[in-house]
Amino acid sequence: MTAKKKRSSLVTGLAGGPYEVWAVLFILVPLGFVAYYAFTDNDFRFTTANIVRFFTDTSTGGDGSAVRTYLVISWRSIKLAVISTVVCLVLGYPLAYIISRASAKAQKTMMTLIMIPMWMNFLIRTYAWMTILQDTGILNNLLAGLGLGRVHIIGTETAVIIGMVYDYLPYMILPLYSIMAKMDHRLIEAARDLGCAPAGVLRRVILPLSMPGVVNGVTMVLIPSISTFYISQKLGDGMFFLLGDAIEGQYVANNLHFAAAIAFILMVALLAAMAVMRYFTEKHTYGGL
Amino acid sequence: MKRASKIFTALMFVFLFAPLVILLIFSFNEARSLSVFSGFSLKWYQELFRDTETLKAVRNTLVLAVCAAGASTVMGTAAAVGIYRMRSRYLRSALDMVTNIPMINPDIITGISMMLMFVFASRLMGLANSLSFLTLLIAHITFCLPYVILQVLPRLRQMDKALPEAAMDLGCTPWGAFWKVELPEIMPAIVTGMIMAFTLSLDDFVISYFTTGTGFQTLPIRIYNMTKKTVTPDMYALATIIFFVILALLLLSNLTDSEDSQRLRAARRAKRAAAGRPPMDPKKRRILYGCGGGLALVALAAAVVFTVTETDNKPQVLNVYNWGEYISDGSEGSMDVIKEFAAWYEQEYGRPVQVNYETFASNEDMYAKLSKNAISYDVIIPSDYMIARMIQEDMLLPLDFDNIPNYQYIDEDFRGLYYDPDNLYSVPYAYGIVGIIYNANVVDEADAGDWDLMWNEKYAGQVLQFNNSRDAFGTAMYRAGIDVNTTDRSQWDLALQSLLEQRQSGVVRSYVMDEVYNMMESGEGAIAAYYAGDYFTMLDAQADTVDLRFYYPERTNFYIDAMCIPSCCQNKEVAEIFINYMLSKQPAIANAEYTWYASPNRLVYEDPDYVDEMGEEAMAILYPDWGDFSEKYNAYAYRNLDNDLLDYINSLWETLKIN
Repeated sequence: MTAKKKRSSLVTGLAGGPYEVWAVLFILVPLGFVAYYAFTDNDFRFTTANIVRFFTDTSTGGDGSAVRTYLVISWRSIKLAVISTVVCLVLGYPLAYIISRASAKAQKTMMTLIMIPMWMNFLIRTYAWMTILQDTGILNNLLAGLGLGRVHIIGTETAVIIGMVYDYLPYMILPLYSIMAKMDHRLIEAARDLGCAPAGVLRRVILPLSMPGVVNGVTMVLIPSISTFYISQKLGDGMFFLLGDAIEGQYVANNLHFAAAIAFILMVALLAAMAVMRYFTEKHTYGGL
Repeated sequence: MKRASKIFTALMFVFLFAPLVILLIFSFNEARSLSVFSGFSLKWYQELFRDTETLKAVRNTLVLAVCAAGASTVMGTAAAVGIYRMRSRYLRSALDMVTNIPMINPDIITGISMMLMFVFASRLMGLANSLSFLTLLIAHITFCLPYVILQVLPRLRQMDKALPEAAMDLGCTPWGAFWKVELPEIMPAIVTGMIMAFTLSLDDFVISYFTTGTGFQTLPIRIYNMTKKTVTPDMYALATIIFFVILALLLLSNLTDSEDSQRLRAARRAKRAAAGRPPMDPKKRRILYGCGGGLALVALAAAVVFTVTETDNKPQVLNVYNWGEYISDGSEGSMDVIKEFAAWYEQEYGRPVQVNYETFASNEDMYAKLSKNAISYDVIIPSDYMIARMIQEDMLLPLDFDNIPNYQYIDEDFRGLYYDPDNLYSVPYAYGIVGIIYNANVVDEADAGDWDLMWNEKYAGQVLQFNNSRDAFGTAMYRAGIDVNTTDRSQWDLALQSLLEQRQSGVVRSYVMDEVYNMMESGEGAIAAYYAGDYFTMLDAQADTVDLRFYYPERTNFYIDAMCIPSCCQNKEVAEIFINYMLSKQPAIANAEYTWYASPNRLVYEDPDYVDEMGEEAMAILYPDWGDFSEKYNAYAYRNLDNDLLDYINSLWETLKIN
């Protein structure tokens, strides 16, 4: 048994080893570069000015009062990203469940269909959404044709959210599906047989079982949507300025150090958020089982 | 309930496929527009198959995606197993954290930070070019890995822990238990992870942009760089083709799968039995399948090696770096300048030359890559203010004009300008002037004429303003008569006030760059400031309800893009021959006709056929008779500003955007 244990740990070491080296070289070291740039000035002398600037830079708001520029930008980014993530979850969760209950053949077909849009370039997909949403666009012509009147969507937060949901929905469905396909459906039947109401089945059985998928899905949607700049530029008519735009803008202005500082702060905040989320869900999920 | 879920699923797929249907329809559009359908045509498909640069980019993208997905799936699965079995909770959560980092990093920062690291590492190792296919592959594997791990790990954790233990208790080795029990259990997650990795790699633009070297541009990079002009519809054709290929694959795999293939297999077995042969040994079958898979892998590896070496083997290589859509490329019957150059060079000099023609999206992007010595090019075509900056930073080589005799055809007006006062470093390629384009069906002629049109509250929600700080501030500064290169910050503050007023009065519909084409053509916006040449591109595709017109305000922006040789050049002589070739009559005219921008080359604008082809209106607008060009140019062109001022302007721009 001890020999087996030893070999088992050898297997473990061999399995994880290359990745550990890779992770240090290509994840941690570049991260070091971000931190290095965030805490230095143009002459590579240590400074905290970039970090301080993020929290203190002010500009004049619409009503003439001073607002903290980057906190305003952050707030808007977080708001849009959270709404998009929630919408993705609300739409993706039932869809993933429906797919996971279909026949094996239908499952495969539907999952491939969900991946197909992602194989078209995202720049072109976003262009297509502009055509659909604009004032003279397809959606408005359709609505007008049905006598429902026109809506102004392009250039609003709604348009940006639609774009994000569209682009990132597959990232929500995939991990959810991968967990749900593996779920033991006898548990659900048992709960039903024992007189549990549908809402109860969902809350007490399905949800806890699929929790790891929810966590992964939320991670995969929240992060790209908090740092995107392309979608907000195209579907937001350039009227919004999100964190991604701020980083890109600083880069174009040849201000790598401040760009790195914004990225650094964003990263620390997201890592903290992830850690908190994982702490609670892990306890919840595995404690419950 | 059943019905509700069916309707819901159907609606979701409508949502997912609506944009693809749009692309499909517009790929058959006769005009260039993605807003106005003017007639059925297959021409974009012809264009696509003729466009060797795009096809090369497609191949690059696929090769990269297959390699990245393969490598990250193997390594990621191993890593997930490793993390899963790790006994130290501390180490496990640490590794978990690290795995999340590439997903948490905004891709632009992942891209930049990896570029910085590769540059640093290659300097340590004394390599000349830090970026290559290898660095691109490393970057892609790195950002694909967490997605594979995050697919596989939850599946492992969901697995019944007793299963592998039972297998081992029954005498299975740990390896055996892994192959026979754990692997089949986690296989669906591995496949999903691989598909995700493949998809992500296929779609990534930002990280590729920063980590790829000379000679390996992917499709997303190529498309993004089309922003100087606009995305060409052969991309819609490409999307449509990809769509049908995947659909075909899907149908095929469904046919060969499940019941059907089982029926087939049963039939085959029956046939064998009827022929008196025993059923195939499962071991033999496994070997057969293994051989098939192995062959496929070898073929793939060969393809990769072929692609990688193919670009390195030829003796003469010329690397050209230009704006997207900024050279005549053979589309719609035009001249394929790059191809013709290669043919001409081989005939003239008896040696073949391979031209790697690649594109960038903005001066700043190009500068960032070149200034870090990350890549090397032989010829670049930046704009005036960037040339000034690069000269100042010793990034350009003086040209040997003995090798560029065609320089004599460059008009005197385009010599000795501020950015290169002694004519040492640059040869003008094209120039342009910003004017105002408006829809005469909406805008009253009497209101047109100067910059005030862009501030006119009569046209609320109709004005398209530039979506980059320099050009947007430019409109306000030309309007107010402020020097666009002033170092006086209070003047910039004044310009901001003007832009704020423009935004808050509701005049601005959008801040745009290349979107301007679709929006003006469809009538979505009625007033926009953009480059004169682009007005004609829009005219070609305007909707029936739109009547576009153009004029120059009194003070406006002039720019020149010029050919230069960067100090990283490997082959200066061929580079100079190329520059000279670009100035010769045929290619120069082809480029001017393709881009619709004005040419400083006498061989072009004095050519009767060119003048005829352009038409009277276009000639009058593209080559306005304004007396001394250089005087106007030196007064109004953008100059290089110092970093502090750029930073200040950027923060003003943010103020405008958050209001």
